[in-house]
Amino acid sequence: MIETVDLRRAFGGLVALDGVTVRVAEGERRAIIGPNGAGKTTLFNILTGELRPTSGRVRLAGEDVTGRRPHELARRGLARMYQRNELFDPLPARDNVALGVGAARGPYRPFTRPPAADVAAADALLEQVGLGDRVRVPARELSHGERRQLELALALARRPRVLLLDEPTAGMSPAETARITSLIASLERTLTIVVVEHDMDVVFRLAERVTVLHEGRVIADGTPAAVRADSQVNEVYLGKVVA
Amino acid sequence: MRGVALAACALLASAALVTFPVWSAGWESSRYATTILRDMLILAIFALSLDLLVGTAGLPSLGHAAFFGAGAYAAAIAMERAGSDDLLLALGAAVAVAALLALVIGSFSVRTSGIFFLMLTLAFAQIVFAAAFQATDLTGGSNGFAGVLRPTFLGLDFNGPEALYQLVATIFILVIVILWRIRSSAYGRALVGLRENERRMRALGYDTTRLKLSAFVLAGALAGLGGALSGFALRFVSTNDVSLGRSIEGFVAVLVGGSGSLVGPAIGAAVVLYIERVLSSAVPFSETVLGLVFIVFVLAARQGIVGIGRAAYGRVRR
Ligand SMILES: Nc1ncnc2c1ncn2[C@@H]1O[C@H](COP(=O)(O)OP(=O)(O)OP(=O)(O)O)[C@@H](O)[C@H]1O
Ligand SMILES: [Mg+2]
Repeated sequence: MIETVDLRRAFGGLVALDGVTVRVAEGERRAIIGPNGAGKTTLFNILTGELRPTSGRVRLAGEDVTGRRPHELARRGLARMYQRNELFDPLPARDNVALGVGAARGPYRPFTRPPAADVAAADALLEQVGLGDRVRVPARELSHGERRQLELALALARRPRVLLLDEPTAGMSPAETARITSLIASLERTLTIVVVEHDMDVVFRLAERVTVLHEGRVIADGTPAAVRADSQVNEVYLGKVVA
Repeated sequence: MRGVALAACALLASAALVTFPVWSAGWESSRYATTILRDMLILAIFALSLDLLVGTAGLPSLGHAAFFGAGAYAAAIAMERAGSDDLLLALGAAVAVAALLALVIGSFSVRTSGIFFLMLTLAFAQIVFAAAFQATDLTGGSNGFAGVLRPTFLGLDFNGPEALYQLVATIFILVIVILWRIRSSAYGRALVGLRENERRMRALGYDTTRLKLSAFVLAGALAGLGGALSGFALRFVSTNDVSLGRSIEGFVAVLVGGSGSLVGPAIGAAVVLYIERVLSSAVPFSETVLGLVFIVFVLAARQGIVGIGRAAYGRVRR
């Protein structure tokens, strides 16, 4: 469904991605793990078209989309939850999501109000992520956990086919983490999900396959059990996290 | 019910505005007041069009006079060359030329944002200013374009001061209605999204470059409309109309009145024009007064007069 071929990305002298080939099948739940600075967010930035790769290709649903702009990829069904929230801060939660729901119709209708159905759809989505009683609250007045929930609602607003989640539970309380993890686990099975996460419980709960990134390279790729048993992975990453 | 009451109020206010020369006829200074009000409304159209960029879409343009001036010259030149004083010809030429110029300048400018957008729009407007200054055959150069015709439309003659005022007031109301509809539309909300988080807008599938360009062209076209009216009103167009001074005048009106609303820029325009034209004959250094007012608002009241009003209203209600 989404794949990269020998992706490289350098920032000046720093090589953030060094020949990454990843292939995620339709409906798959994939986790990408690795230490800070491994290149996980950089990989997402290239997948969404916000960064151009120095070399290598990106394919989405079989089509080569390398170098396409972010809005074109969004229209092809790619959506993203950012590591650092990207919200419309002064707007109510409802208006935040409504902007996403209405995006498919395009903005060029200067004299017609957005249909009431958009608001209803936004409210339903907010209910789904657990913000049903917060629809009128401006994004900036929500708690950190609630802002993450809103960020997820924004990612889901266009009914994507591929969902990229960059540390969805970062900074959340254990209760909030459990809730958002169940929520992600309960999403439609046809949705392809790639999740970057440091919380191993979350990773092992959600993922069918795990890819380990270290210094811009894939050092392991397999089932959660196989990756957990991998000695190199334990050395550079898991050993530190678990211990 | 509330909607009906609001509509009735708006209608009444519009009627009162358009008929100002009639019901003020008894005043000793009716003529003078009509002229001042006319020029306030023209500046308000300019400020409102600028605020579509500054306040709604978050694009701080410092070159908006390019479109005001282009509209003013285009209307005047079109009428002269065609030997016609047809209103639609003049306004059509103004809007078309201003929009086209905005399309060209916008294509480059909207790829940047913040201070770079500000500098780029300023630079382009200075090029337009220089062109207007040098194209003597077309614009009259430093002498200006004198003897601009006043238009006629369907047998209506806007040559008299009252009739011209009423034309200006009508178009002002039209612009307010257009902008009011836009604000509550899907398009207007997308512009607000652009202002608040362009990255998220892109990730949601909005082509933000095109969206910004469309706003830039729309704002340019409306400014051109204001420019054409200014030419009719003063029977004169000069490089002042494309100057940095004019751009700043609009910007000050937006900030003093309060950006991001319909009332703010209109009130701001009234204040700026009052200081420039009425106060200037009573007190010396009126330019300095304007500067000081501006500084006070930037330092102490970022939301402008509208913001002060809202805060006061909030306190009363509590
Ligand atoms: N725009 C940029 N300019 C320069 N260097 C960058 C840029 N973006 C990322 N980097 C560098 O690339 C490397 C990979 O960063 P990236 O954000 O992809 O890591 P990550 O795996 O997401 O880390 P974390 O777990 O901390 O989020 C880091 O060394 C980072 O400093
Ligand atoms: Mg990261």
